[in-house]
Amino acid sequence: MSAFFANLLFTYQSLIYGLGINAILGLSMYVVLAIGQLSLGQAAFMGVGAYASSLLSVKLGLSFPVVLVAAAGVPAMLALLVSVPTLRLSGVYLAIATIGLGEVLRLFYVNWDYAGGALGLSGIPDRGGFFTIFGTLALLLAAAFAVGRSRIGRAMEAIREDEQAAGVMGIDVPRYKLAALVISAAIAGIAGAYNAHVTAFIAPGDYAFDNAVTILSYALLGGIGSPLGPVFGAFLLTALPELLRPLHDYRLVLNGLIIVSVVIFMPRGLFSWHMRRIGAAK
Amino acid sequence: MKFVQLKRGLRAGALAASVLATGMAGAPYAMAQAKTSVQLGAIEVLSGPNAKYGVSIKSGFDLALSEINAAGGVLGAPLAIHYEDSAGNKDQAVNAVRKLIGADKVSLILGPTLSGEMFAAGPVANAQKIPIVGTSTTANGITALGNYVFRTSLPESDVVPVTLKAARDKLGVKKVAVMYGNDDAFTKSGYDVMKAALTKLGIETLTTETFGGKDTDFSAQLTKIKAMNPDAIVVSALVQAGAGIMLEKKALGFSDKVRIIGGNGLNSPKIGEIAGAAANGTLVGSPWFVGKQDAANVKFVGAYKAKYNAEPDQFAAQAYDTLFIVAKAITAAGAADPQKIRDALVNVKYSGVLGPSAFTADRNPADTSGVVVLEMEDGKFAPLK
Repeated sequence: MSAFFANLLFTYQSLIYGLGINAILGLSMYVVLAIGQLSLGQAAFMGVGAYASSLLSVKLGLSFPVVLVAAAGVPAMLALLVSVPTLRLSGVYLAIATIGLGEVLRLFYVNWDYAGGALGLSGIPDRGGFFTIFGTLALLLAAAFAVGRSRIGRAMEAIREDEQAAGVMGIDVPRYKLAALVISAAIAGIAGAYNAHVTAFIAPGDYAFDNAVTILSYALLGGIGSPLGPVFGAFLLTALPELLRPLHDYRLVLNGLIIVSVVIFMPRGLFSWHMRRIGAAK
Repeated sequence: MKFVQLKRGLRAGALAASVLATGMAGAPYAMAQAKTSVQLGAIEVLSGPNAKYGVSIKSGFDLALSEINAAGGVLGAPLAIHYEDSAGNKDQAVNAVRKLIGADKVSLILGPTLSGEMFAAGPVANAQKIPIVGTSTTANGITALGNYVFRTSLPESDVVPVTLKAARDKLGVKKVAVMYGNDDAFTKSGYDVMKAALTKLGIETLTTETFGGKDTDFSAQLTKIKAMNPDAIVVSALVQAGAGIMLEKKALGFSDKVRIIGGNGLNSPKIGEIAGAAANGTLVGSPWFVGKQDAANVKFVGAYKAKYNAEPDQFAAQAYDTLFIVAKAITAAGAADPQKIRDALVNVKYSGVLGPSAFTADRNPADTSGVVVLEMEDGKFAPLK
């Protein structure tokens, strides 16, 4: 019987890993959306994490924990740099600026021969694994709930609902925005590192606009009322194409149909419940 | 993985037991093996923007499959292919390879379609010691992924030197300008190959210019090239950019004698459709040509047209030959055992629509004698005279 389970685990290993990694990406999107910002740079930050970690693993052979620190740190630093000029932007303008970031980085990888240029980087060692990925997800989820239910979470929600009013109430809006972008970049970077180390190969095109939109759709499909929304949204969008595999030619049709139905009939997302707050009236 | 083999062993054992239980004497293991069909897997891009490649390849496989099974299959049993769609996405390609090995228990995997997918999926199959055979993966380093990774598609490094040699020997090309798209894995690796081949053939490179795959304006690069007066322009580009370069070259008043010499990216009838007369004289090397007059090819093109009501392309031709090569290897191996098939594949010799094929020691195609140099004439490729 254990052979049966081992075989099952082998067959669906990368799907299971994908669920965890994409859920982490959904959470990174949640962190910025929770403060009312629309960033399309999550894929770019994921790419920075993936490239930074892969280069350290492949070229320097560093151990995985060290690599993970870089995978979170480098995108966070970049987010810090980027947020200086973009902090004043909001809504669609921030989205456009972050799309630009993704494109700039893509061209950078393409012309960076040390990192394989357009050919990408292959032979990335197999690291991480089930417990690392889902452990990280559980930890981040717990942290998101803890922060969400605290004073900080309330401040974030206030900013999302009305930035000016929040500012008048004494919330340091720019600092919150900065922190949200930096933290979400670090989370996306970690997801990028996990993804690179389980698929063995990365290329510049993996972190382009399409992926930014896919990550956004995890959060939007799941709903952003609580951190669980993006996580379940990511689970669903990752699992659907594989669950529908037996349908062969029709699977993408049905996949699209399901997503469109959710958007039309459940515009607030599949999981639209809200977090309970400490001291909130029931 | 041990578990996979263990499971396979258990299944074969159970089959053998059931055969014995029903009272059939003889060699139960061999009979159980012969009764079940030989399972192959194929991972191709069957949806999304690159689906045209995957669909062509699948058509090629299906045609070969029906011919092989009509002739009795292999090892006395029909051959079966499990198709999986990768949608051009490396993560899905990895999921597919795991499903084919873990759930469908295939003995060999065909595909994936794109080199990027192979870089992700190849190591998984290799680690499980299941042979994986790419029919359209031309990038450098594919077979370096491991001892179980094969390809039947001639890499650019085999085709481009033949094209350039023909240009030098037949057309007297001595000095060239080089242009390549530097933001795409395929066109960049094509350039690396061209650079090496030009040096080896002693053709002088006057200048090397780059562009982006989505660029539409090439006037800066071409104006510079025109002033240097090359014999030809060597271009590594995909169809869109390649056709743009040809139109711009004509607009800038280059002499018709200055030909474009391209890699596999320009080997598409679309070039003629987009660039029209500006494409005339373009040279490309191709592992296969629809108008090849040998008996095997005429039969293949006829059968393909009858079945699909369309002309085959090189991807279909490569897939068609590959399945015959694999079938021959399975017959030589004498069992649907991945290790035995892998060992037989290394030594298999086959002659099909692409001409003679065999594998080198590093599992690349060994024979380049099938390469044809084609010249664009009035919107159609024809062999260079």
